[in-house]
Parts: sequence; structure tokens; C-alpha cells
Amino acid sequence: MSGAVYRVRLHGRGGQGIKTAGRVLGTALFLEGFEVQDAPRYGAERRGAPIFAFVRAARGPILERGAIQRPDLVLVADDTVVVVPAAGVLAGVTSRTVMVLCSEQPEDVWRARLAPKGPLHVLPLPLEDRGATSLRHVGMACAGAAARLLGVVSLASLRKAIETELAGVGRAAIDSSLAAAERSFVALSEHAGAAAPGEPIAASGYERPVFVELLCEPVLEATAMVHGARTSELVKTGLWRTVRPEVHAELCHKCHWICASSCPDGAISASESGVARVDYDHCKGCGVCVVACPHHAIAAVPERSTEVPK
Amino acid sequence: MKDTRFAHLKDIPSAHLLGAGTAMCAGCGGLLAVREIHEVLGDRTVFVNAAGCMTLLSTYPFTPFSGSFLYTAMASAPAGAQGVRDALDVLARKGRLAPEDDLSVVVLTGDGSASGMGLSATSAAIDRGLDFLYVCYDNEGYGNTGQQASATTPLGARTATTERGSVASKKDLFGIWAANRPAYVATAIGSEPVDLARKVEKASKIRGPKLLLVLAPCPTGWGFESDQLVEIGRLAVKTGAWPLKEVEGGKIVHTKVPPKRAPVEEYLRAQGRFAHLFEPSRDEATLASIQQSVDAYWRTVTVG
Repeated sequence: MSGAVYRVRLHGRGGQGIKTAGRVLGTALFLEGFEVQDAPRYGAERRGAPIFAFVRAARGPILERGAIQRPDLVLVADDTVVVVPAAGVLAGVTSRTVMVLCSEQPEDVWRARLAPKGPLHVLPLPLEDRGATSLRHVGMACAGAAARLLGVVSLASLRKAIETELAGVGRAAIDSSLAAAERSFVALSEHAGAAAPGEPIAASGYERPVFVELLCEPVLEATAMVHGARTSELVKTGLWRTVRPEVHAELCHKCHWICASSCPDGAISASESGVARVDYDHCKGCGVCVVACPHHAIAAVPERSTEVPK
Repeated sequence: MKDTRFAHLKDIPSAHLLGAGTAMCAGCGGLLAVREIHEVLGDRTVFVNAAGCMTLLSTYPFTPFSGSFLYTAMASAPAGAQGVRDALDVLARKGRLAPEDDLSVVVLTGDGSASGMGLSATSAAIDRGLDFLYVCYDNEGYGNTGQQASATTPLGARTATTERGSVASKKDLFGIWAANRPAYVATAIGSEPVDLARKVEKASKIRGPKLLLVLAPCPTGWGFESDQLVEIGRLAVKTGAWPLKEVEGGKIVHTKVPPKRAPVEEYLRAQGRFAHLFEPSRDEATLASIQQSVDAYWRTVTVG
């Protein structure tokens, strides 16, 4: 056990409490006497974009740095990120990696989809989170599940970590977070300790990066210049969406400028018939149009409830 | 407001000059305003950006703009704008740029830069009479780095660096700018698109320094669900917390006066950053202080 390191990766979307879940798990492990690293991965993407946080814990000094390449435990708060390649949910997953998914789909569906070589558990979504704009407590449910699967965190330390990390957000939010974490902690009790720590990374296994020789170019070639207009439309931010706005043509009064002008991303335009049309390649699912439409012609539909994403 | 082509929401062009696919948060109040501003100004526009949230609009090799974008350091966007304006003027003087090919120069800056390290360069650009439009999207904190407090963070607001609520009041950027007597100064908000469009239109017809302070409700930094963006903006105006105004001929004119101001609590309650003023117990002193400052402001306003 000496030198062994627990490596946990938490995946989800910005706004689902993934960063906080990492901090809670890190603090809980620290309270159990571990040396701990916990950090979210910051990118340029924001709320709704796939993100991850990672936690390392060991009984001695941790000499590794950076994102976790070989996780012992992977928790996914939002099952829609599994299909996003950039999210890297399955990166470095081996037969000894324990996976946990928060999903409405049952375990056998995910076993068939992912064909994992190692253990896989599905946590049902907390009831109050179904269909909500954001899944407020899934991050905390993941923290509870992780604590139980590592088997080295007591419920008391988990609770204390939540109280510490959420101090200042109000009693009601702390209580609902405690409940969400405890629910998954209890649900996985028969798998306590299923996620074993991995060996420390040894220098003998080091693979040298491949260096690419870059030529010294004239400044106008070497400077970052873009000559096209609106090239950002090549980026499909529709993948951020957890909730999809659906326009009901029979309710739409064809006053598309109300929903269109309130859309921060400019992802709504009028179709030939004048009915509002959502650009699903880019709509981030913020829901502003759903609230803005005076005729309630736009419904918010959870992305995961649809079989075939458009 | 006679000389305007914007009488109604449907008069605002929807040419989608600002492309989708940017890295801005879902429900970004700053992006909403920038999109509206770009629609009114048209594609013959150079955006000079001060480091901030909007830096992420253009992450190489992607840009959402129909016009040009130049990225500068946090404190120096007005200086960058001066360089672009001068270059255009030199080309025009040499006959290498036809008048119809001229571009308008716009600075995009967050409130952190505008009220802090960028203030000096802004003041200097006003002194020099630079012909540009300066747009500050004000999300009342350093949003791009996780909402640390800026000089424009309002009293009582929790940020990453004011965990118990800011004890300082919001810096009056509008007042500072107006005191410099630039050609045009106004406040606006994305949830009042007609008011915003008229102000951008008016500014685009005036030569000299024009400054626009746009409140940018920020779901992540302020703690509200992204679908509440427009509602939060309306509450800011309805409660009088965000006065919509402009300076015309040295006189401050309010462009939208709430007929009966709602209690500012309605605006505060809707945001997580003020939750500690209500739970676990009401912070009556701070709540009263915020309401009093709003009331005191509106007492100075002469309507009509």
C-alpha cells in the first residue's frame, strides 16, 4: 500500500458542481489523514461545457502532477458527456478502473454501449433533478459515491467536508447536498473499497514526448491571423446542451424577433413559414427563449430524454 | 429619440453578424449585448478587445465577428483603438481608403479592466478626442477568472474574494466618464434591446469618444439559472438598480424611468450572490443601505 495513489476523475458539465465535488472528496480524504491533490480542469469553455475535476490521495507525498491519465475511479455526473470525444471520459480506463454513471438508463444499457472491462455502476438521478435546467446535486452524488467506493472515507468525514466546502451557501443548499451525497454513499455500501489505489508512476515507465521541429517563419505567417468571418460557427456548441428548446409550431405566433433577440448566441432565426427555428448545432440550451416566449410556444426538453439527438 | 430607425423590437436587424459557436457561457448577458451592438453597427467594424471574458470570443482559429478583431492587453485597448483609428486615417489621407470603406473602431472591455487598470488609457483616449465607441460589458467582477471582486462590484455582493459580501460600493464609471466630457456617454442593458440599439445608433452618428456602459447579468458569477437572464435584466431596470441614461449636450437624460420602482430586494433575491443577505437571517442593515442608495440616486433625477 505504501506509495500507492488513489486517482479519481469526475466528469460532467460546467454548472453541475463537478469542481465542488472534487473539493469535497479531496477535503474528506484529507480529513482521513491522506495527502491530497484536487483540481478542476479549466478550459475556455463555460457553464454547460464538458469539464472534469480530479483528485489524488496517498498516505505519503504525491509526486505526480497534472491531469490523471490512468484513473482508478471515474465518475460521470452527466451521461451526455460520454459521447463527447473532447470530454475524454474513457481516457485511460482499464479493466481495474471502476466507473460510475449518473443516468436514467439502466446498467445493462451502459454495459452494452460501453462494453467496459471493469466494474460499472449506475446511480439513478435524484428525483428532484429530473428535467431541471441544471442537475444541481449530481456532483454531490458523485462525491458520495466516490467516498464509498474508495472505502477509506467515513460518512462523518464526508459530511464534515461538505459543511466545510459549502460554508456560506446557505443551510438549505448544504442540507440538500448532504442528502444527495449520503444517498449515493449508502446506495453503494456493498461495493465499499471496490476502487483500489494504483501504483505510483515510476520513471522507468516514462515515455519521452515526440518533439516537433518548428521552422522560424516570417512574422505574418507565424502570427495568429484569421481571414474568414464567423469561423466560430465551425464549433458545435450544441454539445453543451442538457436541455433542448423545442418550438411548437402550432403555438408559435411567428413573432420570432422576441425569442431571437433574447438569444445570447444568435441561435434562433425564422424559417420560411415564419416559425422560430433553433440552430441545434450551436444552441447551448440556456433556456432564455423558453422564458422569453410570451405564448409559451417553446418547451424545455431534457436532452437525455430524446433517443436520437438532432 | 426622433432620429431613430428603432421604434420596435422588430426594427432591430437580425443578420446574425455575430456568429454562434463561441466559448461564452450559456445565458451570457455580455454576449447578448455584444451581439445586439454588432447588428446595429454592421460588419464594417473593428473590435479592439481588452483581456477579459470576451477574449474567448476569438480563440484562434475561430472568430464570431463579421468584422475584424484585435486582441490587446488588459490595460491598453483604448491605445490599440487609437492605433487602428490612426492607421485608417492615414490611409484615407493618402487616398488609399475610400470614405465608404472606412471602419468604425470599437473597444470591448469588461468592467474589471474598465474600472481598474484600463481607466488611465480610457481617460487619455477621451482627452485626445479619439473617435471610437468604448463598450464596457459590466458583470460587476472579474468574471473570466472566477468572479473576483472588481471596483464595480456592488455593495453586499458575494464574489470569490468577498465571501461575506462586498463592503465597498459600486464605482460610478458613468460619472467618471461623463466628468471627462466625451462626445457621448450612456448606460444600457441587453434585455432592453430597443433602448440599446437607439444608443448605439446615436453613438455611431457622433464623432469623438463615445462610451457605453452595459450591465451584463452573469449566470455563473451572479448565481442565477441561465434561463433567467432577461428577467434579471428587467428587474435591474424595474427596481431602479440599473438606471438607463445618456448624456446629451452636457445634460443627463434618463431614457427609461421605472414608473413605480419595485423594491430592490426583488432584484437581489433572484441572485445567489446576495443570498447571504436573506439567509440564515436577514441582514437588515445592508438591505436598507442598498435600498437607500437606490432611493438617493433617484431623488436626484428630474424626470421630463
